Amino acid sequence: MVDAREITSKQKQIAVSEFFEKNKHFLGFDSLQRSLITAVKESVDNSLDACEEARILPNISVQIDRLKGDEIRLVTQDNGPGIPRDAVEHVFGKFLLGSRFHAIRQTRGQQGIGITGVVMYSQLTTGVKTKVTSKIASDSSAVFVDIGLDTRKNRAIKSREKRDVWFDDITGEVVEHGLRIEARMKGKYQRGKQSVFQYLRMTSIVNPHATISLVVRDRDGEVYEQGSWKRTTDKLPRVVEEIKPHPHGIQLGTLQRMLRESEERKMTSFLRHNFSGVSMRAAKEILSLAEINENRSPKRISTNDANGMLNGFQNVKLLPPPTDCLSPIDDLLIKKGLSKAIDSRFAATVTRNPTVSQGNPFQIEVGLVFGGDLTADGPIEVLRFANRVPLMYQQGGCALTKAIESIDWKRYGLDHPGGKGLPKGAAAVLIHLASTNVQFTSEAKEAVADNDEVFEEIRRALLEVGRGLKNHLKKKSQRKKAKEKFELINVILPEISKKSSKLLGKPEPNLSPVITQIMNAVFCEETLGWNSEQKLATCIIEVYNYTARARAYTILVKWPESDTVKIAVNPLGGRKEAKGIWAWRIETLDPGCSTTINIGISGLTKGDWVDTDIFFRGNGDIIGATKIDETLLEEIRKMEALSAAQNEINEQYSETEVNHLIQRAETAAKSELEKEIIETPTPESNSSSIQNGSPTLFDDYNTEELE
Amino acid sequence: MSDFTKRKSKEEVISSLKGIALEMHNKMERGTPPTMTLPVRSKTNIAFDQKLEVYKYGKKKTIRDATSLGSARQLLRSLYVTEFIEQMIEAGKSSTLREMYYISESWGHGKFGTQNDSNNLAEDLEIVTKCLREDFKLRPEEDGARIIGDVTFEEKNRKGDWMRINCRDDVGDSGYGVPYNVESEKLKLITEDVDFIMAIETGGMFDRLVENGFDEDARCALIHLKGQPARSTRRIMRRMSDEWKKPIIVFSDCDPWSFRIFASIAYGAIKTAHISEYLATKGAHYLGITADDILAYDLPSDDLTKQDLNALDAELTDPRFNSGYWKEQINLMKELGKKAEQQSLAKYGLDFVTDTYLPEKLSAIGLDY
Repeated sequence: MVDAREITSKQKQIAVSEFFEKNKHFLGFDSLQRSLITAVKESVDNSLDACEEARILPNISVQIDRLKGDEIRLVTQDNGPGIPRDAVEHVFGKFLLGSRFHAIRQTRGQQGIGITGVVMYSQLTTGVKTKVTSKIASDSSAVFVDIGLDTRKNRAIKSREKRDVWFDDITGEVVEHGLRIEARMKGKYQRGKQSVFQYLRMTSIVNPHATISLVVRDRDGEVYEQGSWKRTTDKLPRVVEEIKPHPHGIQLGTLQRMLRESEERKMTSFLRHNFSGVSMRAAKEILSLAEINENRSPKRISTNDANGMLNGFQNVKLLPPPTDCLSPIDDLLIKKGLSKAIDSRFAATVTRNPTVSQGNPFQIEVGLVFGGDLTADGPIEVLRFANRVPLMYQQGGCALTKAIESIDWKRYGLDHPGGKGLPKGAAAVLIHLASTNVQFTSEAKEAVADNDEVFEEIRRALLEVGRGLKNHLKKKSQRKKAKEKFELINVILPEISKKSSKLLGKPEPNLSPVITQIMNAVFCEETLGWNSEQKLATCIIEVYNYTARARAYTILVKWPESDTVKIAVNPLGGRKEAKGIWAWRIETLDPGCSTTINIGISGLTKGDWVDTDIFFRGNGDIIGATKIDETLLEEIRKMEALSAAQNEINEQYSETEVNHLIQRAETAAKSELEKEIIETPTPESNSSSIQNGSPTLFDDYNTEELE
Repeated sequence: MSDFTKRKSKEEVISSLKGIALEMHNKMERGTPPTMTLPVRSKTNIAFDQKLEVYKYGKKKTIRDATSLGSARQLLRSLYVTEFIEQMIEAGKSSTLREMYYISESWGHGKFGTQNDSNNLAEDLEIVTKCLREDFKLRPEEDGARIIGDVTFEEKNRKGDWMRINCRDDVGDSGYGVPYNVESEKLKLITEDVDFIMAIETGGMFDRLVENGFDEDARCALIHLKGQPARSTRRIMRRMSDEWKKPIIVFSDCDPWSFRIFASIAYGAIKTAHISEYLATKGAHYLGITADDILAYDLPSDDLTKQDLNALDAELTDPRFNSGYWKEQINLMKELGKKAEQQSLAKYGLDFVTDTYLPEKLSAIGLDY
């Protein structure tokens, strides 16, 4: 008789290798081309996660060599913490299937089956074991080991293990800590939109703290493709907090499992300790709605009662889940990342505030670049990311793409034939969805599933960058017009005067009344620059009065004010109007005269400040500046006061409940505010400049295109 | 005689050109942007001149003023051209339009953007000053027509001698090349022994008629138009019509563009409406190919393109085509949706055009042979 245990064990053995074979396409190992990308992805994602956890700025190198036939050698190396000797077989030899449902936070490793998949794939396609070199800082030597898989027992087989000093292949220096993986597998390197190059390029955009390099060599050792993306910031992503699930995102099965595994004795404590956003009051209300006694043991809750609880979750007022479990990239860093990868003339980025959908916190970040090296014919480039991982396949079916397609891009200056599909033009749009639970359309995890809240957040962010683009294009054409006018009056007109006088033998006429008549406007021109000696970002604003009468204005400039960014040079003084808005009064600007305002800003690096908005207050238009919207300015001041008050409270009490309450109050106040602004018609005096789509002042206010 | 046909003296030409500079200077002295006033040069501003019996520019004026960079540049260029012409007149030289375009390289901000810019400006100056570009010592580079037939001219050659040329006996198969200047100081019409003059749009058809000896059989002179006819081609036709009293018959393709070629010969071209009475030949006759010929002779045809249809619609609002005959032809062509080339007649053999088509068409207008 066969032992029953042996049978189950056998079934399991078959299951693991079969599982891989059967699900190769879900796991990203379908075509030769894609398998290579997946292998690179698994190992690079691991490296980035490991470095992040160990607070190390990652240096990652990827090397691909073509061997005989379809075979290739993939070598990836990082400067991460390395893996302790005892853990190597665990990391490389186990399929970690299923998710850790108690711990909810944003991680890259939500995709695929991890590095074990690479070991498995290599073994299945070439029969060659994966060479691993690992060095942790506290050991004196590195571990060198070959890893294979025993598919029957679902564990790693180690061979040729040795300890030695590890010298870097390229620099020849001793490696202090890091991990090197060398795998031999079937695969195909192909250039293009779906390539290892593109994957790493995209990865570098959303991981501006990482330095990544790629070398691909042909069979004869010739370099076939290479790339190098240096880090643009030394700021590591923030450590993400693990959070408990929020009742709004819970399904029956999960709830029942949590109840079964619970160690609490009372239902009230079960609810309060296992979920986020549930206060004592809320717990009691849920239980009373579900008609469950507060003192019952969680282990004894029936399916029927669990259903009652789910109902209670939806009908009781709950605090939103905390959002510090998310790790946004930060809009300035996206801008840097994008400009590192793409040479463009204009870049706008937006990081939306975190929000919640069905109990899952999520946050949207969007970037748009325009002009420069980008080609103008054909659809724009779409760069999709979920939790800092590039999505490279199934672009058309992805909710992120659909959100882009839903915008009327014509209004923002891009060609959008028929208002359908992707707009055309020299632009690229980046969308990053950070969430504790990214919903994909399928196991392949390449396309984000439709979700109204996510969709709406993306749309709002896109509208914001779209307005920036429109503003940029408008400014560009205004600037061109102004330049032409200046050439006309400064060059051509004097020549007409000179030439005609010479032909006629007459004296030259006085041109200033002619110039005033031709221009008949006040012009404003700003030049942003960089003072490398003083490390200051500079802004020079010149205002010319080419009208027949004297003018008086207040000129306002938008600047990236923050705790570290200050105005260091400002000979004209002026005053602060609001956060990020500085104003100067020009008392009299006589006809035919000009005046110059210049400031120097400290705390920025070169290239941080390349685009700004100039506003004015006063009678008569200024070409090159926008009339300031006083109501919006007022709202900004209110918001400032609100956040100042909030900071004060934060300092006094550090209890989480209080934070939650403030957060909720703030969210409520903000949505009230948004509503108010949308509903309030724009005052007469500002209507002309605002309604034809000039930029709104501040990011969180949407005065247009809100359904 | 109008302002144009009366040739001007050097002094008159220079003083009219300086009028342009004067308009600009006066404006600036008054503190306003300099301007240049021109008639509107589009089909909306051409009207039939009862006295001259051709289409001329109407009263609509456009003022080019220096409030935009493009117009200001044009004004500056006009001044440079004025200066250049003055120098040429003083030195007794002439230049081609293309040479002027290259000379403008040294004019700094007055330099021409394209050759077309310089051609247009030369025309602008003609219109404003009521001078001819020949007065400005500017020559076109356009290709003059070819003539074959029993007509005799006297042309002044480079040595200054008058040379007598019979366009049938003294020329090869390519015919007599019409010079760019066909005014009486350069070309004299001497004798003729023809019944009419036939202008042909395409080179292929011209050569076919020459090879078939049509000029002798039908007692006519053949002129190859080379597409849209050059000014000198239209001018020599006008002179032959005026001085020899011979009818001008136009034989072209059947498409919207050929209609325009005919209109520029018979009524005056929009671009040169300021000198229509000098270039256009009233009474020139459109022989074919007509839209109804496509049906009557069952000719091989092509579908009208979108551009063709647009051109036909534009012609329907062009005052020159505002006659019963042209409205019928244009509408018929639109209805058929077809156009045909002259050479489609070859469907019935190489001699069909001279043996059948032309005799039938000519006889219909009373030109039997």
